[in-house]
Amino acid sequence: MTAKRTPVIDGLFSDTADGARLMGSRCATCNVPYFPRSELCHNPDCTESRMEDASFGPHGTVWSSSVQNYPPPPPARYDEPYEPYALGVVDLTDGLRVVGRMAVDDPKTVKVGGKVELVIEPMCTEADGTEVTTWMFRPI
Amino acid sequence: MRDVAVLGVGMHPFGKFPDKSVTDLCRDAVVAALSDAGMQWRDIEAVAAASSRFSGGKGWGLNGNDVVEDMGSTGIPVYNMSAGCAAGGNAFNVGYALVAGGIYDSVLVVGGEKMPKGFIQTSGVEEETDPEFLRQRCVGMPGPSFWALLCRQRMEEFGTTEEQLAKVAVKAHQVAVHNEYARFRKEFSLEQVLGSNLVSDPLRLFEICPVSDGAAAAIICSAEKAKQLASNPVWVAGSSVATMRFDDGLPRGLAGVVPPGRSYHSEASLAVEKALAQAGAGPEDLDFVELQDNTVYYELAFPEDWGLCKPGEAEHMLETNETLPTGKMPINPSGGFLCFGEATTAMGVFQVCELTWQLRGEAGPRQVPGAKLGLGQTLGLGGNATAVVLKR
Repeated sequence: MTAKRTPVIDGLFSDTADGARLMGSRCATCNVPYFPRSELCHNPDCTESRMEDASFGPHGTVWSSSVQNYPPPPPARYDEPYEPYALGVVDLTDGLRVVGRMAVDDPKTVKVGGKVELVIEPMCTEADGTEVTTWMFRPI
Repeated sequence: MRDVAVLGVGMHPFGKFPDKSVTDLCRDAVVAALSDAGMQWRDIEAVAAASSRFSGGKGWGLNGNDVVEDMGSTGIPVYNMSAGCAAGGNAFNVGYALVAGGIYDSVLVVGGEKMPKGFIQTSGVEEETDPEFLRQRCVGMPGPSFWALLCRQRMEEFGTTEEQLAKVAVKAHQVAVHNEYARFRKEFSLEQVLGSNLVSDPLRLFEICPVSDGAAAAIICSAEKAKQLASNPVWVAGSSVATMRFDDGLPRGLAGVVPPGRSYHSEASLAVEKALAQAGAGPEDLDFVELQDNTVYYELAFPEDWGLCKPGEAEHMLETNETLPTGKMPINPSGGFLCFGEATTAMGVFQVCELTWQLRGEAGPRQVPGAKLGLGQTLGLGGNATAVVLKR
């Protein structure tokens, strides 16, 4: 039986038939992408803010990575006992540089410059067994 | 604009002081600065204070008001400045502007902080509209991991080694041994630094600054006032504040635009460029620098951003001892944040103290020989940065 799942925050990401997507927006004037959604284009060189809903992913390249060796302070969430996880900064092909956890078993295996895909994976579990999901990057 | 002098500086040693309040720490710094300037409390016409996030200030960052009530309520104006870890530098800039603009003749700049235990929690706000909250809740990447991500990127780009990172910490402790205000005054070997626990791979415990309690104060005056009290004061050659640019490529919130070029720490670069331009100086004219070394990474990245050396050459400068007080480009002769620990909002004023002592030739065994022009720089949450250039 599959565990029940719930997103850590509603409306930030979704799973589609073509892979995971981050839900954001893009300015129709200057083409700048935003995640999460933005009401206004923040580009000071843009002549007119024309924000439209847009989704991003799933393909990208690792710009940098690290390991969260110690349990992070609140409001971060994790299951006990704490297991260090890998963090990544990924440049999506959509032109967005995004932070996220890496979906890898061994955090030391992440390669800077490596190709990854966006996935939605559990980050911790509620007391009733519900898995709390977030976006992550999996090497391909 | 009028010329502005730094007439007096004072500091409370950095460390952990469970029996003292932040006002106690500030009092020591202010009394020392007044004595150093040869002034009385009644001579101070205004206060520019860093707002503490963690202590005192009646819970509203009103730390300057705490200082004024403690020293004696003379009715003077108080400006409480908030800019994350750049707040001390921000307060200095506001104090400088008030004197340079002719509003006041003598201003006290003060910053103090008592820090809670452990790593700084980056957000106290639990709102889904706050990007810092989302970043911690959805990803879980506290301050040190941000530095670790920048550091790993540098290692990939320039081939920086773990030994070179550790050597920055070894150098910091080598000079801090000579600073009576520093919290850690003990030398560490390369092996000891490399043997300390990984906090956020590739950064180790001894390669990031801890948090400390501490306070620092500076009294700045118009030239007219300064000349009544000192024959050869230290002058403010440049003071600036900047915020980050839209094209900055660092991963700050959840996401940003992939920048067309290499544009990192843009707020710090902007602040430093502005302060140097105001001073009519180039990076090559600087005799020494006090930069914000929350982590060893910054001591390698910033000198390149500011033109103190070419990109990829910071490691060579370190390994040839050019960043020691006796080298060609001394960096953090105080021992820096690594050896003081960060009393967040005090740090911009802490740097003004060290710059002043160095320029007066009062820094003892950590003295930069013949120091005439020095730069201080801070960086704070929210894309804040400040820079100050002092000269003798």
